[in-house]
Amino acid sequence: MSELVLQALYSGLLVGGVYALIALGLALTFGTMRVINLAHGELVLLAAYMAYMVESRLQLNPVFAVPLAVLVACTCSALVYLLVDRIRKNRELNSLMLTFAIGIVITNAVLLIFSGDVRSTGSPFMQDAVQLGPLFSMKSELGAFIISLVLVFALWQWLSRSWYGRAVRAVSSNRDAAKLMGINPARTELISFIVAGALAACAGVALYSSSVVHPALGHALTVKAFIITVLAGVGSVPGVLAAALLLGVTEAMTVTLWSSALQELVGMTLFLVVLLVLPNGLFGTARRRG
Amino acid sequence: MTPLRLMAATFAVAATVGAGGTAAAEEFTVGVQIPLTGAMARSGTGMSEGIQTAAELFNKSNAKHKIKLVTIDDESNPAKAVAAVEKLASQGVVALVGGFGSNIIGPASDAASKLNLVYMTAGGVDNDLTKRGHKNFFRINNTQGYERAVTQLFEEQGVKSVSIVYSTKEATADLAKDLQKSLAPKGIKVTLHPFDPAITDFKPIINKIKLQDKSEVIFMSAYENDYVGIIRAAKVLKPEIKAIVGVWSLATSKMWKDFPDLMPNITGTSLLPYPVDYKQPEGKLFNDTYRKMFNKDVDYLAQFGYVKATLLFEAIARAADGGSLKKGGLADELRKTNKETLIGRVQFDASGDNLNFRHRMGQHQDGKIVIVSPKSEATGPIVWPGLPW
Repeated sequence: MSELVLQALYSGLLVGGVYALIALGLALTFGTMRVINLAHGELVLLAAYMAYMVESRLQLNPVFAVPLAVLVACTCSALVYLLVDRIRKNRELNSLMLTFAIGIVITNAVLLIFSGDVRSTGSPFMQDAVQLGPLFSMKSELGAFIISLVLVFALWQWLSRSWYGRAVRAVSSNRDAAKLMGINPARTELISFIVAGALAACAGVALYSSSVVHPALGHALTVKAFIITVLAGVGSVPGVLAAALLLGVTEAMTVTLWSSALQELVGMTLFLVVLLVLPNGLFGTARRRG
Repeated sequence: MTPLRLMAATFAVAATVGAGGTAAAEEFTVGVQIPLTGAMARSGTGMSEGIQTAAELFNKSNAKHKIKLVTIDDESNPAKAVAAVEKLASQGVVALVGGFGSNIIGPASDAASKLNLVYMTAGGVDNDLTKRGHKNFFRINNTQGYERAVTQLFEEQGVKSVSIVYSTKEATADLAKDLQKSLAPKGIKVTLHPFDPAITDFKPIINKIKLQDKSEVIFMSAYENDYVGIIRAAKVLKPEIKAIVGVWSLATSKMWKDFPDLMPNITGTSLLPYPVDYKQPEGKLFNDTYRKMFNKDVDYLAQFGYVKATLLFEAIARAADGGSLKKGGLADELRKTNKETLIGRVQFDASGDNLNFRHRMGQHQDGKIVIVSPKSEATGPIVWPGLPW
């Protein structure tokens, strides 16, 4: 039994790492602009298909797709921002509809270009098993987990230490006050969307390397990212990692100790319970009015 | 007769025959409601190509009747499938063919039934679909056909224990439960592992099979993305099993092409060996026409699409000849079907289910699909025990 539980914990942590990677970009744009980018999952998906393209056409390891995926996802993310920025009334609500529509457009573009087939890496290196004592995983899963930790730390440092990071936090806290401090809110928001695109690109390549992708996946990714963002609490980058790991471990333990059919249900129940008990999420603080 | 008169007479005869021919070729519009986008896009596209091939061949071989297809993409969405059926009905279609996924076919065929339109499908095997009392619903495949094929394979190989990993969607859950019912009386120990369709990491399930079930065989009642996740998890954890067996969309050339490292010795339902080798002239003609139209190899989806559409078109022609088409006689005409097709003999019972549907089992062997069960129809020996690692 202990072997089962240990493996479940380990698998849950690894899956949680990928969840964190997927959620980081959404958490950043949500924290900065209060815009829920419902096309975020589709950006991750787009990056995953770039990895597929590089692997299938150029016969390269999907890791080499990162530059192309970053370019494509950042460009799309910037375009999403430019469209969202044109909304003049009721931005929080209208941006939901706009980004949802953009998600549909991206999904169907992916479907048209790459067909509805299931895709995943064929690289034996990525799929090879890694054994740590009694624990098993694929190399790609372990790699994605480490990359996730590195990116969470890098984003955290960027937001807390760099000028642009502080500008992002200032705009998030009070847009008008930030303007008075000489910060260009539009440019800051654009930068946060581009960084979110870069994070989505890394998530997409990691997802393609460790799991399976198909055109209809984007929406499910957005929902997962949104749950983690809300669980974490707005504005908390380490919170995203903690929430993602908690969700991953909870799901894996549900499968092991209960039933695999209840995995998603238990995840959603955890989400609802946290929201009821801690309305600002696990690591969020009550938002002050500027 | 002078040459001028002869020429005039020839023209007159030709014109008469031509005009007569045109007048006799009555055109019937058939609605195709199918997912071309969304989660079921791949399966829907395959079926749609088979339907188009059926229409092409029917129109070429039939001077008296022509079929015109009007296709609406239901976007893999039940509500849009119902809207598609209603729109097609408003365009005057004589019948509907298509659908994929029991959860979509259910409401779409309900709508067709209310509109008194025949609905012919091969994309929904949920047992409940034929228990609704619809007089206009017909399907050429069902869960029982899959269940019989898998049970026979296990009996032939003397399997003693099976872990069934199944998606909680209707069709996959139905198959898993029916299989459990048919295996248990034969003394085969069965353990069920249902999973939510959203999950992607199967290691916790496979680890339970490895450490607790210790079964001889993992059986997957799932879809392509699940198969990849399950086989990968098994490849990482390497449970002591003899085989991994699945159902639809698994023993296909496409799966070998896309996942050559995961497919060796994996067994799944398959009516066709690969490379495709049709013995009957109809099969050869279908294969050649499909290749010309779509520049690729026939797969089981296209074949199902072709067979169901051909049966429907032929019934339309018979009903039109008998004068019953406009009086709602198409369903009765379909019920009279008793024909040897590319998927075997098709006869419908009162609920519209194909009485004779029975699948075969194919195994991936070095890029080929070898039919390995039933033994009487095998095109080669099975590799057993046989695993991808």
